[in-house]
Amino acid sequence: MASLVSGTTSDMTPRPSRRAFYTGDRFQAAAFIVPSCIFLALLTIWPFFYSVYLSLHRVRLTALKRAVFVGFENYWNLVTDTLFQHALLNTLMLATASIACEIIIGFVVAKAFVSIAHLRWSNWLRSFFLMPMMVTPLIVGMIFAYVFNPVLGIANYLLNSVGLAPVSWFGDPFPAMLSILLINVWQWTPFMMLLIMAGLFSIRSDLYEAARVDGAKWHHILRFLEIPSIRGIVLLGIILRIIDTLRFFDVVYVTTRGGPGDSTMVLTLYAYQQNFQFFQAGTGSAAAVIILVISIVITTFAVRLLRRIEND
Amino acid sequence: MRNITLLGSISGAALLLASAAVAQDIDWKSELGDHSGKTLHMMTITDPFIDSIKATKDGFTDITGAKVEVDGYGYDALHEKELLACSQNDSSYDIFIMDGIWIGELSEAGCIDSAEKQIAEGKPEIFAWDDYTPSAAGQASWDGERMCIPIGIYYELMYYRTDLFEKAGIKVPETFEELKQAAKTFTDNPEFPGVYGYAMNNKRGAAAGQQWFEWIYSAGGKPWVSNDIGSKDPYADQTPLLNSKESVDLVQFFKDMTAYGPPGVESFAWDERANAFAAGKLAMINDWSVRAQIANDPSQSQVAGKFKAALMPHKEGAKTVSPVGGWVACVNAHGAQKDVAWDFLKWFGSPAVHKQFVMAGGPPSRLSAMQDPDVVAKYPWTEQLFEAQKNAWVEVRPRHPLAFQMIDTVGADVNKAIIGEATPQAAMDNAQEQVTKLLKQNGLLQ
Repeated sequence: MASLVSGTTSDMTPRPSRRAFYTGDRFQAAAFIVPSCIFLALLTIWPFFYSVYLSLHRVRLTALKRAVFVGFENYWNLVTDTLFQHALLNTLMLATASIACEIIIGFVVAKAFVSIAHLRWSNWLRSFFLMPMMVTPLIVGMIFAYVFNPVLGIANYLLNSVGLAPVSWFGDPFPAMLSILLINVWQWTPFMMLLIMAGLFSIRSDLYEAARVDGAKWHHILRFLEIPSIRGIVLLGIILRIIDTLRFFDVVYVTTRGGPGDSTMVLTLYAYQQNFQFFQAGTGSAAAVIILVISIVITTFAVRLLRRIEND
Repeated sequence: MRNITLLGSISGAALLLASAAVAQDIDWKSELGDHSGKTLHMMTITDPFIDSIKATKDGFTDITGAKVEVDGYGYDALHEKELLACSQNDSSYDIFIMDGIWIGELSEAGCIDSAEKQIAEGKPEIFAWDDYTPSAAGQASWDGERMCIPIGIYYELMYYRTDLFEKAGIKVPETFEELKQAAKTFTDNPEFPGVYGYAMNNKRGAAAGQQWFEWIYSAGGKPWVSNDIGSKDPYADQTPLLNSKESVDLVQFFKDMTAYGPPGVESFAWDERANAFAAGKLAMINDWSVRAQIANDPSQSQVAGKFKAALMPHKEGAKTVSPVGGWVACVNAHGAQKDVAWDFLKWFGSPAVHKQFVMAGGPPSRLSAMQDPDVVAKYPWTEQLFEAQKNAWVEVRPRHPLAFQMIDTVGADVNKAIIGEATPQAAMDNAQEQVTKLLKQNGLLQ
């Protein structure tokens, strides 16, 4: 009966012509969306599910046909592996320390650039300051490998010229982590500075004048005017930098290879080694899935926070 | 001692046979096909011998018409690229030049074709297999099958600064204790300003791991149960011996030696050590023979003509087992121009062309090249290489499919002991546990 009714209804509805279908909204919407969906499915969704599949198997990349299903064994091996734990901890430490340094230094430099914005050469100076950000991270790593070379590097030469003892930059755990942090901060502070500067430029000058008329000191202006004005854009910068730091790889790969000991091992280097040096595709995929889950959790949390700030 | 004498006799006989073979002229035009219009692609390491390949390869183009393109990559990148190419059935490269310790991994993954048929069908004077040093031939073979052609076999030697030793008036060290004393003499000594005694491969991972395997026999130990020198089946029982007394003592020795190295020696690998030696900062260094050319090149080195080579030192009561390594050339199993690839290897590996390659700076892999007067005159350390190959053991480092990961795992723990993050005993106990787990997980250990 139902089919009879539906058949009757469809017979009564005038069928759209083929020309009308091609010019209609639904077709145009599909024409725009479908290529993106195919792109996403092929390059993001399918590889993700394949990674999940591999992560549940004991398999080498050179022998994919000999995969053995092991359930969550690879995940268990990872969470109980002290090297993976160190990599996770190091990545979180590196993210926290470098983003904090980048915000503080970036703010100071941004303030300096804002205060000299009226000078003709300030644009040139600003461009120079942005240059580290434009260099490929691999090249940055290689440059600093030379700079911090304990025998032939300029860092120890400068220390020696002022009578200080040479430092084993990549040889001891603490200086090695500090060196990696320094390189990361050197390269990415300009990015944070750029965002903060954009935030500071967006504050109307009459608000500064009003604050001064009301007798506000510099720390009052900072606390009640500047920080509230830039916190949205800084949070956006933090989200981007967290994602960046979770992907941080090149500099460590070139300079320390995760050493000395496990002191500079980071998550991506761990996953890279498992996948492309040891060709343990199962363990490597499990590590990649864990990195992805961490990224999603942190980003979701941060985006919600950003929305709340914007609504405030 | 009997083994060494026997090896020496075999080497001598092989050398005579090989010399006779070399003396015969080979008509390459009839031996090799016409490959005009084709281009042969090979990938190799960016070690100094890449220039020697480039200096030699045009002879093949003259005979066959095929161009030869050589692409160089770093050590890890090459391993990665060859295995990825294999896993994707990639035919872009015809020849893989690989470290001898990767041969198990690439053979068992079906990445390379066996050389047995080519050698069996080729003229004996072309492949002249018996002319290769026994350890070179071993590096190119896996599971009893000749898979590749040895081209650049390295032996590790100890290099020392003759000017500094003459000034100090001390003998060249032969034992670990003598090495320590000599290194101490040159370190922080106002008579030798800016000079340090010794630098080892201490960097985390492959550098420290390979160093452990390279020294363990000379320290009186062995890496796993059935890996005795000369063993017919060294992989029969792979139970690791990483926390044996000899191993722990060796790691303690590595740690002790950091006192005589430059600042940051804990993070040194091959390049840092070679650069420091060439810059005149080190009195002694152990290194693969291929790097001696760099140190002896006045345009790159401040110590050219001021150093000599000796066999690696050994622990008191043990004897030197010279580490062997180096590069073998293999035909890509997925390659589209296998005929051109085999023709190139036939030609390039032949004794006469090998000598040209060696004279252009390539490492000698053949007994005939090692004893060639021209080679010895140009590269004086070749005499020590000839001695080193007599006491070398091909399985000094693992060569099975997990070799890369196993060496890296050991290297992480050795490095922890060197930097003081763990005691040598604790570090090697952990290495023992990790490697045992790895071997069991992958079915190499019950």
